[in-house]
Amino acid sequence: MTDKFSRRDFLKLAGVGAATTAILTGCGPASRYVKREPYMEMPEYAYNGQSTYYATTCRECAAGCGLVVRTSQGRAIKTEGNANHPLNLGKTCARGQATLHGLYNPDRVQEPQGGGKPMDWDAAIQVVADALKNNQPGEIAFLLGTTSDHLFDLVSDLAAQTGINPPVRFGALSMFESRATLAKAAENLFGQAGMPFFDVGGAKAVLSFGANFLETWLSPISYTRGFAGLREALTKMRGKLIQFEARMSATAAKADEWIPLRPGTETLVALAIGRLALEKRGGPLPRAFADIDPMDAASKSGVEIETLERYAEMVVAGGALAIPGGAALGQTSGLALAEAVLALNAVADNLGKEGGMFLSPLAPNQAEYQRSASVKEMQEFTQKLASGKIKVLFVHGVNPVFELPAALEFKKALDGVEQVISFATFPDETAQAADYVFPDHHALESWGYQRVTTGSNQSALSGSQPVVSPYYNTRSTIDVLIAAAQLAGEKFAGALPFKDEVEFIQSKVAPLMNEAGGFFSAADLPAFMAYFQQYGGWWTNYDARVIPNAADTLNRNLKVVEAEFAGEGEFFFIPFVSPTLAEAGANKPWLQELPDPTTTVMWNTWVEINPATAHELGVEDDDVIQIVSEAGTVEAPAYLYPAIRPDTIAIPFGQGHTAYGRYAAGRGVNPADLLGQRFNEAGDLAFAGMKVNIKKTGRKRPLSRLESVMGVYGKGLGEEH
Amino acid sequence: MIKVEEIKMSAEETGKWGMLIDQDLCTGCQACVAACAMENNISFVGEEDAGYGRTMHWIRIERFWEGEYPEVKMTPNQPMMCQQCGAAPCEPVCPAFATVHSQAEQLNLQVYNRCVGTRYCANNCPYQVRSFNWRDYERPEPLPNQLNPDVTVRRRGVMEKCTFCIQRIHKAQDKAKSEGREVADGEFTTACAQACPANAITFGRVDDPESLVSQLAKKHGHGVKHHEELGTLPSVTYLKGG
Repeated sequence: MTDKFSRRDFLKLAGVGAATTAILTGCGPASRYVKREPYMEMPEYAYNGQSTYYATTCRECAAGCGLVVRTSQGRAIKTEGNANHPLNLGKTCARGQATLHGLYNPDRVQEPQGGGKPMDWDAAIQVVADALKNNQPGEIAFLLGTTSDHLFDLVSDLAAQTGINPPVRFGALSMFESRATLAKAAENLFGQAGMPFFDVGGAKAVLSFGANFLETWLSPISYTRGFAGLREALTKMRGKLIQFEARMSATAAKADEWIPLRPGTETLVALAIGRLALEKRGGPLPRAFADIDPMDAASKSGVEIETLERYAEMVVAGGALAIPGGAALGQTSGLALAEAVLALNAVADNLGKEGGMFLSPLAPNQAEYQRSASVKEMQEFTQKLASGKIKVLFVHGVNPVFELPAALEFKKALDGVEQVISFATFPDETAQAADYVFPDHHALESWGYQRVTTGSNQSALSGSQPVVSPYYNTRSTIDVLIAAAQLAGEKFAGALPFKDEVEFIQSKVAPLMNEAGGFFSAADLPAFMAYFQQYGGWWTNYDARVIPNAADTLNRNLKVVEAEFAGEGEFFFIPFVSPTLAEAGANKPWLQELPDPTTTVMWNTWVEINPATAHELGVEDDDVIQIVSEAGTVEAPAYLYPAIRPDTIAIPFGQGHTAYGRYAAGRGVNPADLLGQRFNEAGDLAFAGMKVNIKKTGRKRPLSRLESVMGVYGKGLGEEH
Repeated sequence: MIKVEEIKMSAEETGKWGMLIDQDLCTGCQACVAACAMENNISFVGEEDAGYGRTMHWIRIERFWEGEYPEVKMTPNQPMMCQQCGAAPCEPVCPAFATVHSQAEQLNLQVYNRCVGTRYCANNCPYQVRSFNWRDYERPEPLPNQLNPDVTVRRRGVMEKCTFCIQRIHKAQDKAKSEGREVADGEFTTACAQACPANAITFGRVDDPESLVSQLAKKHGHGVKHHEELGTLPSVTYLKGG
């Protein structure tokens, strides 16, 4: 073939070749030759780089669950539970999942601010230093949240050494959990203040007096795991759950029996069950249960005596566990109820046994049980602020203007303070009322530790480390305090002799290295701290729960009391914490879009009212009604809730912000506006101890619910008509 | 009633994934819903669109009421998501072949770049688990930092639904392949099952009798599949509560 190859043939061939090349490359030079891939390989099928994972601690509530956060290219992508962590064993709640919407929230405080204007950090630190230096120690106070135990420890040390006021801690969740009442009851009955721990998983029957332990109570992840254990039916008998409360909570919805007893009679019912059980068992009747008349309890509570007898038999049969909580503790009789229920556990003979009651172990670096302030203590604190005795107030991790009952007038009390310095990450109501906002990092950008108060068999300290670098010009509050202390004179500098936050945390964690019974050990401090970060904390490798000393429990006098209700209203009023929003979730858009577990309402506040009552009053779904208590008034749309007593109404807590970013502000109402200032004997607020009136307004405000698509056929949503 | 034969496994198939949901354990806490939203870049739509039933949830918790006060009872919480039917009603109605069946994983795929938004599939789904992007829902900066790079970000006019976290399935399969082994049971799981504090959701290979999901289904023995009478062959088994 080659011998016949002429010049003309060559030119022809070359021409075809050139044309072909031009078509293939689009006439461009070879360097512009790119591989175009059609969008067939979607990201789901492709590798997009490797992720790195960091263990840290969730700060959406005070429980202290361990997280493992997936990061990719320096961004936090997903939070998962830390499978090693003794509290949550790899699980998370909705709020833990949505913590990323806090980290990347569009409304974070992005830089230090004073008087509404941006500042630089040097000036901010000078403001803090001057505040420490120019005031008497007794005029300086710290108000801290229930998370960030490392900050609480630092401020406690600072207070001990410089004479400033010891830090006060508060959170709305601890208010609704009545932590002071639980601790006081344990102290009265067992001679030891502590946080009771209820081993739901091992019980055969659980009698819950209002405890909403599947939602927000104390440690919902741990108690949900316990609930799953209770229901385990493959290896044992399926355990029963009986819930006494006037409004069916998400916990009561899972119960085998929901007993809507008359609010305020819970103590009588608990005592009656105890007495009937003791009578069935025979033998002398102990002092504690001598005064109760079961027939009287039955008639007052509206629970039939046969039903009480049946529960008493469960107690006699063994494996029964009684839990006090929720609205039942938030009444004037709250302490009496807590004592009656703990004593009922003594009758059931389950103290320190599997499926019974324990006291939670103290955390590893904790000497004695500490709790956050009760509302009574917050009332005293507020009065101190209002009186002008406090010249400078530092606020971190709590939003008292929103979380405290409006009747305490916390915001007004701030006028009595010369300088309010907030370390808020988000522009919440309290930060708005502050003179300065020096934003702390978000939890996922922070160092720290959190003590596991309850929910774990092991004694546990949960560790935090930054999983991403700070997104904004924020600074760790501890670093700010350490830097300010250096400028505030020898006394303060000497109290905080640390290079930075990490050195301080190391000084608090390091002693654990020599402690026996840890689940890991290390030869030197750097290795120990590396493990501490890697595993997400330090905990014992043994069950550290404390068995209550019940020697004298049943010989005490237990009060036979009914709760007293404030106000002249017609309806019992139950505020309850929204399980999805809780106290600080309203600024996270995906938490707003989660349907409430019982009503399926999203993005708003509703008033639960029995359909029969509503019918009598001429109230329909979505009618805006006015609730009037002795302390205040709110207006919200009605939700005809089939599982609430006809003489009771309920409102979720979590919405009603006037600030706190675009997703929270101006949405719904805050039931704290209705709360008064009555307390139980332990100083916890009687938040469910009121009677209120309702009035129609004649307006309608449709609620967005998952359960219906009425908006498609009805009138437009989001408008009042 | 039309009977549909179980689709036989071909050589290219890598296994049939399925779920077991214990309604007795589900507390309705919404952890799975939040976990799913975070894993799969699901948009939030705001109060008004949510009221019109336009939420984008790939998984929802259903509950119903029975009786009247005081004899009122809430039915056991029922997490509902795409049932990954063996004979899916959504598939044959798509004119664009966007809802196709994957022989490999025995899943119903949603190919976003083929979808032209006819919404026929959602109309034909007896489980009502498909959600349509009625708008380009806003994610103000810096919220997009959280987006999962393994999952397509959908835009207006596209249908979407639960994928059984197919990106996780592929990651696990690729990893196992590179290590020359099979994917181990429990080596990975879906975002919803991973978060569930009550362990109500179990995910795994339903064609492997040794897997946890098969073992639990066998031990409990009273599992039901929704709308089985329609012959959809769903991959999700429910254990009724109580």
